[in-house]
Amino acid sequence: MSGGPDNSITIPLSGRIDSNNAAKVEEDIRAKLAGRAPSELVLDAQKLDYISSAGLRVVLRLKKSFPGLAVTGLSSEVYEIFEMTGFAEMMRVEKAYREISVEGCEVIGEGANGKVYRIDGDNVVKTYKNADALSEIRHEREVARLALILGVPTAISYDVVRVGDSFGSVFELLNASSFSKILANEPERYDWCVKEYVGMLKKIHAITVPEGKLPPIKHKIVEAAERIKDSLPDSLGDKLVKMTKEIPDSDRMIHGDLHTKNIVLAGDEVLLIDMDTLSVGHPIFEFFNIYNAYIGRSELDNDIVMRFQGFDQETANRFWRDTLTAYLGTHDENAVKTVEDKIRCVAYAYLVDWAVRHSFRDEATAALWKSRLVELLGRLDTLTFEVDESSGDPDEIEVDADTGSLEAVIDHVGARLDALGCPPKTRMQMELAVEEIFVNIAHYAYAPEKGRAWIRAEADEAERELTVTFTDAGRPYDPTKRADPDVTLSADERNPGGLGIFLTKKLMDSVAYEYKDGKNVLTVRKKV
Amino acid sequence: MNITKTKEGSRLTIALSGRLDTMTAPELEKAINDSIIGVDELVLDLKELEYMSSAGLRVLLSAQKKMKNVGSMTVRNVNEMIMEIFEVTGFADILTIA
Repeated sequence: MSGGPDNSITIPLSGRIDSNNAAKVEEDIRAKLAGRAPSELVLDAQKLDYISSAGLRVVLRLKKSFPGLAVTGLSSEVYEIFEMTGFAEMMRVEKAYREISVEGCEVIGEGANGKVYRIDGDNVVKTYKNADALSEIRHEREVARLALILGVPTAISYDVVRVGDSFGSVFELLNASSFSKILANEPERYDWCVKEYVGMLKKIHAITVPEGKLPPIKHKIVEAAERIKDSLPDSLGDKLVKMTKEIPDSDRMIHGDLHTKNIVLAGDEVLLIDMDTLSVGHPIFEFFNIYNAYIGRSELDNDIVMRFQGFDQETANRFWRDTLTAYLGTHDENAVKTVEDKIRCVAYAYLVDWAVRHSFRDEATAALWKSRLVELLGRLDTLTFEVDESSGDPDEIEVDADTGSLEAVIDHVGARLDALGCPPKTRMQMELAVEEIFVNIAHYAYAPEKGRAWIRAEADEAERELTVTFTDAGRPYDPTKRADPDVTLSADERNPGGLGIFLTKKLMDSVAYEYKDGKNVLTVRKKV
Repeated sequence: MNITKTKEGSRLTIALSGRLDTMTAPELEKAINDSIIGVDELVLDLKELEYMSSAGLRVLLSAQKKMKNVGSMTVRNVNEMIMEIFEVTGFADILTIA
């Protein structure tokens, strides 16, 4: 037994624990813990060969007495028992770590927290410098899993390994090359990179994250503004704090470190990596970080961008401007400039604070950052800008789940019907189904609160079929389960409800409901 | 949607054109309720009506129930598309369609 007086106690387990010895094992452990209340009790299972359900019950009883129970060092076989029985979700259960060496492996990425090595053709390992790597790895795996569920293409680590004194997480990443690498080596693919990068930004910024799943980012910038406000002349500091506070809160996903090293082409798939900075907030909090990665940090020393991204400052400037322009969906240079200035203001505020926090020695650069910030604060009145929150998918629109949006929804679907050359009768039937379903969402999904709905209409010209998908994040409700009205009753006996979904079912070729990722998804199809 | 009312004695004709949907159904309901007093024959002319959803059906059902006690309600000039809606929902049997 080892550990401090009441913080963490580690007790080794060994051999087999089954009905023959479970009682004895429990008795021994409790004897060792007599009179102590550790905040963490670690059962070190490195030498444990087998555990039966009688043994698992011992673990469960110990967990009741010591809520901070963890089981570590499990072999793959024993780990599987913990996982299958759901124990891995009730407590911290960790496998024994495979040891790997990265000596001689190609470094394919490097970030603030460690390096990424390719260990073989299919796999890479991301290593971590700091001692607290395990909790960081766990965090990153959790957010990557959440992101994947919410529809972000990303890689999830499938194993944690020991790398020297620290830990690493292993990912499967086939033939991946980062956009930085592509921009540096294949300039002819520049336009493709811009398009995919903007598509990815739009995609993640369109994702509404369920409350509490990811941390909001805004307060970090407000805090930075508060730390530096007294160092700014006149009342510009107060203005900065006020303007950052006024940036609207948002439950949209932000990557938080989306420069071109963190977006990769793996096979024919574009993936995001380095998910540990995922948060929610207004897109300005995404862009300030991107601006700093390409321009803010390297204004006086252009070599920084070359060292970090592998392409030159000119490419960085151009990529920044082209992606922002495409993201904003405008060719009005002044409009882009206005948004850019707001982003730069947040970017320099962050850098000024960063320089103080890190006792940054490059005084010329620090002075430039501050002068840029002062200049911007002198002429900006707000940091807020409107963004088109659509997913960038032309077949999908996002609207308030309110009957006031009905016309926009009908028009959106109507445009796809036009593309199919739909006859008037089918058109009316389709419009009717769309109205019935959307109005149902508008009236009931979020009531009495308000919410959003997503309508995707896709015309398959080859099959001459229209598919419309309605998604809302309101209370779970399956309209297809609603009992059909009895259409043989007389007027007096008839109840006015239930007609809409009944008509929809009768007039469409198929109506399918699914509750997925916290959302109601209803799909109707009809051949035209 | 446009609503045109014509009254001849105790007979009221309401002609509809455009779309009878969630947004416009309350207008029709109000138009009927406002002018139904003293009417014993209500005629709904759907000749120019292009579209009807369940919100329209509900107004028709409620008008039918009201008129049944005091006289009659007839629905006229139903186009093929709307007729299908009436048939699928059993309204073809509830309403008097001329």
